[in-house]
Parts: sequence; structure tokens; C-alpha cells
Amino acid sequence: MSEANEKLLIDVGSTYFKVASPEGLEQHFRDFNSDIFDDLMNKCGDTVQRFDKNDVHICSSANGGLSTLIIGVTRSFSLKYATNIAFNSGINIIDTVLYQDLEDYSVPGELIDVVIIVGGANSHKGLFSDDLFAYLKQLTYSNIVFTGCEHDAEYMNSNIDNLVVLPNIIDDRLHIVEEHLKEYLTNLYQQDIEGKEDIKHLYDITGNQIFSTPYIVNRALPTIESRFSVANPFILLDIGGATTDIHYSKDLVEENIVTENEFDRLVFKRLGVYKSKQSLILAAQGNEFVYELLMHLKVTENIFQEQSDKATKILMQLAIFLVLYKMSHHRQSYINLKLLTINSIVLTGGITKVLTVEDIETIIVFFYRKILTSDHKPTVVLDDNYDIWTLGARV
Amino acid sequence: MKVVTGVVGNDIHVVANRLIDLSLRARGYDVYNLGVNTHLQEFFDAVVETGAEVLMISSLNGEAEGWGREVRLLKSKYKSLDDVIMMIGGNLTVGSGNAEDIVARYKNYGFDIVCHQMDLNTGLDMLQDLLEARGLVSEEAIA
Ligand code: B12
Repeated sequence: MSEANEKLLIDVGSTYFKVASPEGLEQHFRDFNSDIFDDLMNKCGDTVQRFDKNDVHICSSANGGLSTLIIGVTRSFSLKYATNIAFNSGINIIDTVLYQDLEDYSVPGELIDVVIIVGGANSHKGLFSDDLFAYLKQLTYSNIVFTGCEHDAEYMNSNIDNLVVLPNIIDDRLHIVEEHLKEYLTNLYQQDIEGKEDIKHLYDITGNQIFSTPYIVNRALPTIESRFSVANPFILLDIGGATTDIHYSKDLVEENIVTENEFDRLVFKRLGVYKSKQSLILAAQGNEFVYELLMHLKVTENIFQEQSDKATKILMQLAIFLVLYKMSHHRQSYINLKLLTINSIVLTGGITKVLTVEDIETIIVFFYRKILTSDHKPTVVLDDNYDIWTLGARV
Repeated sequence: MKVVTGVVGNDIHVVANRLIDLSLRARGYDVYNLGVNTHLQEFFDAVVETGAEVLMISSLNGEAEGWGREVRLLKSKYKSLDDVIMMIGGNLTVGSGNAEDIVARYKNYGFDIVCHQMDLNTGLDMLQDLLEARGLVSEEAIA
């Protein structure tokens, strides 16, 4: 047995947790009446006890990610760059605001985890004024960061409380500089996970850093071929209880902004089949093609009211459709993938325990016919034993 | 003095763009070169991000006409571009055309300086004259 196999891997999700030891994989539904630590020790305490703290690796997707609002001065540079960095860091973008049209935007009511303000090359200055500060006063946010032109940093700092100032994401040739903002956002994400009381407690059983699950999955992708026969290029959908993550290779993106990672990811915070079921249903009801899809699946809209295995299955199928739809040209979104060039679609997460390859194929065929008017049919690969997660956790 | 430059539309003729970059630098300008294949919105957006005083667009393959007609409408959507000096040069029509008519047309599109099939240095001298006339530079210095 190799050394890597001596590890105990634990993934804490919003609906259940998975524990992978050399003996195999255990999976348990979460008991929401007890805290994660107690719940885990109750169900797999014996297994956990057998491992040294340093051999226990934990990741969590229980928090569902962070949200951001981005304010920038142009669509071609500041907003585009910040948007790109935010979603590469796994952050959900609530809205992007073009500063000159500030007054036309409605003020989001929800709590925003981080507001990002960006704009201007370093040779410029005086891009922002009082109207911005008045707008910010109407928002509720936990963090705020300025990552625009350096001459404005002091002025911004003196007008915005608790402002974090980072180096400009736009360089002197108007190219993108990713690292500072990306590091800041990734750390915030990390702190958010660690800050959860529940999760903190888990450090009693591990001597290693607790990572976010999407981070672990993303890390597995360059070596995915060692476990699965996937044909490049591929996308990976991780459809779970509270969120849906999509991971895709850079080749599939038309807008080419040069970054270091081979694979990017996007998190759809409110597209889960259990915890965010209601928002999934809302998204489905708002989609003009869903009615037809339901007919294709031989069910009616009443299925949304049902509590049955059949209903769960349909919701999962809808989640696949909605994610693909969001990525297609049919809908102008942050990123549009070249879906016609995809050769495999890999699925992981809770969905693989419920749907068969046929259940998924019928959705994919429907999507390509209806939305892209094509007979293209990427192969479906089901990661039904969480191999991708174990692969990423062992890297 | 900051200048945003590049070649508009799907135009990939790059030689003039390189020469413009070098010549502007030699004359002391700060150059933001967006290169070939640049869309009109990117030009305007680059002016906003840099605070450039001059926008210098090239077009070689005959596309300029189409883009020229879009200039006023797009520019009107911006709130901070009123004082930018707008300049265009290269082959500003498909095939041959009467230079006088062409210049008048592009001025109507909103350009301040129009250099149809004109030598680059002559064009840059015209820019210098306009900057001086507007009191933006003295006769000796640009930067
Ligand atoms: C080389 C070349 C190509 C190469 C380009 C390689 C490259 N990556 O640069 C290739 C083969 C790819 C090419 C393709 C095409 N080309 Co070509 N090409 C030329 C050619 C022969 C030379 C261009 C050049 O580099 N000149 C040297 C530079 C230094 O000169 P310049 O570009 O004229 O620029 C000077 C001035 O115009 C001025 N200037 C330029 N911009 C500005 C801006 C300002 C503000 C100022 C003041 C001055 C200024 O300063 C420069 C120096 O003095 C010209 C013909 C010619 N002899 O000019 C045709 C020419 C430009 N091409 C032409 C065409 C039609 C095409 C194609 C559409 C052909 C096709 N059917 O596929 C494609 C278009 C591709 C595309 N998407 O843009 C036409 C354009 C006709 C028109 N406007 O009516 C030309 C004029 C040929 C012709 N007589 O028909 N081409």
C-alpha cells in the first residue's frame, strides 16, 4: 500500500459528508441537529481515531461560497478583469456596476461578502468621487477592496472605512495583473470556511489546512485521465446539495485573458438540489425552455411540489440543463463556453448517486438540439465513487 | 501627453501600428497601444482607463467607413470623453476616393484630424499643431 493511501480524506458538504480511508468510502447524511464535529465523530469516530492528525485531510463545501459586487469604470478593462479574477477565485458575482452609470443601478438588498472597486491605469487619477461613496453607504457588505489606479488609493482610503488597498489589476500596457486580487479573494474564501464555528472544531482532528471542495476538485483536473477515460476538452459539473460548480478548461473560453491556471471554475451558489432547492425551482420556472424539457421527461410542472425520489431526479436533470444553458451563447453571461467543441461531460457530487448515464444523456441531447440546434453529443462520464475528489485530496 | 492607439475592427495590418507606436514614443508621448483588431468600444474604454488626451485610430483594410458611422452614437454613451482629440488615418475608404470628400465625411463622424493615405510624420505634425492651438503643449515639449 502506498503512503498516499494511508490518508483519511473527509469532505464536509451541505447535505452529507464523505469519508475515504484505505478500506473504502463511507457516506452519511448530515444530522442538522448536531454540529458537524459531533455528527462526524458519532458516525465515523472509530475510523477517525485510527489516523494520526497529520494524515487526516478535510475539505468543505458547506458554506456555499462568497458573493461579490464589482464596480469598475469600463466593460473592456476594469470590470472585465475583475470579473475574471473573481470567478477564478470561486466567488459568486451578484452584479457588475459601470461607475459612470451608477445612478441607473438598483441597490442589491442582500449582504455582500466583498465589494470590489477597480478602475484606471496607474498614469491616471481622480476617477471616483462622492457619488460612489454615497452609493456604498446604501450597501451592506462585510469587506471592501480597492484595486484600481494607485494615485487614487489614498483618496479612496480616506473616504471608505476599512478599505483594503491592493496593487492595480491593470498594468501599464492595460493588461491584467491577477495575483494580488486572486490571493486576497482566495484567502477570504478560506477564512470564510475556517470562520464557521462548526468547521473550526474540525481542526481538533486534522493537522492540515481545511480547503474548499471546489479547490480540491479543480486540483484533480490536470490528472483526471489517470482515473477516467475522458476526451479533451471536457467540462466537469459538480452538482451538490447547495451549489453547482462547473470546471472547464481554458481552451473552451472564447475571450482569451491570459492566466496561469489550466482550468477555471465557476460556482453557482443557488443551484443545488437540496438546500437551495427553492431557488433551483425558481430558476427553472423562469427558463423558457424548461416547460418543453419537462414534457420531454414526461412530467408536468406539478413535479416541483412533489417530495419524491422521482422529483429529486427531475430536479437534478433540470440543474444540468440550467448550468449548460447559463454557459451557452443563448444567454449572455460572464463566460460563454464553446460547448460545441466539448467531447466529454464529467459529473461528480451527489447527483451521481441518483442519476444514470441515460438520465443525463437525454438532457444533454435535448440541450444540444434545442439550444444549439446541433446533433453533437459529448460522452458522459460519471464519477460515482468520488474518485476525482480523492485524486485532488491526495495531490 | 497620453495617446491611445490601435487598428480598428477586424483589421490585422500591423506594420503601420508598429511605426506609429515608435514614432509617438520618439516624439515624447506616453503610448497605450491596443494593437490590431481593436473594437471601437475598446478604444473609448482605454481612453477612460488611462485618461488619454488623444485617441489615434488606424485603418488599412477599408473597414473604417463602417466604424466611422458608429462613432458619434457610441461616444455619446460616455460621460467623460468630450475633450478627447480624435484622430484617424490610413486607407479610409475602399479603393480610391477624393481626399477632400473623405476628410469632410470623417470630420462629420466626429474626428478632429483625418489623414487619408497620408504620410505618418505629416499626420503627427498636424496633431502637434492642434495641441499647440488648444494650448495643451508648448512648441518645444510634448510630455
Ligand atoms: C502587407 C499587406 C497585407 C498583409 C498584412 C500583414 C500584416 N499582418 O500586417 C496581408 C497579406 C495579411 C493582408 C491582408 C489583407 N489585405 Co492587405 N495589404 C498589405 C500591403 C501590401 C502593405 C501594407 C503595409 O504593411 N504597408 C506598410 C505600412 C508602413 O504602410 P501603411 O499600412 O500604408 O501605413 C502608412 C500610412 O497609411 C500611414 N498611416 C497608417 N495608419 C495611420 C494612422 C494615422 C493617424 C496617420 C496619421 C497615418 C497612418 O502611416 C503609415 C506609414 O506612413 C497593402 C498595400 C500597400 N502597398 O499599402 C495591402 C492593403 C492594405 N490590403 C488590402 C486588403 C483589401 C487586404 C485584405 C482584405 C485582402 C483580402 N481580400 O483578404 C486582407 C485583410 C486582412 C484583414 N483582416 O485586415 C488593401 C486595402 C484596400 C482598401 N482600403 O481599399 C491594400 C491597400 C491593398 C490594395 N491596394 O488593395 N494585407
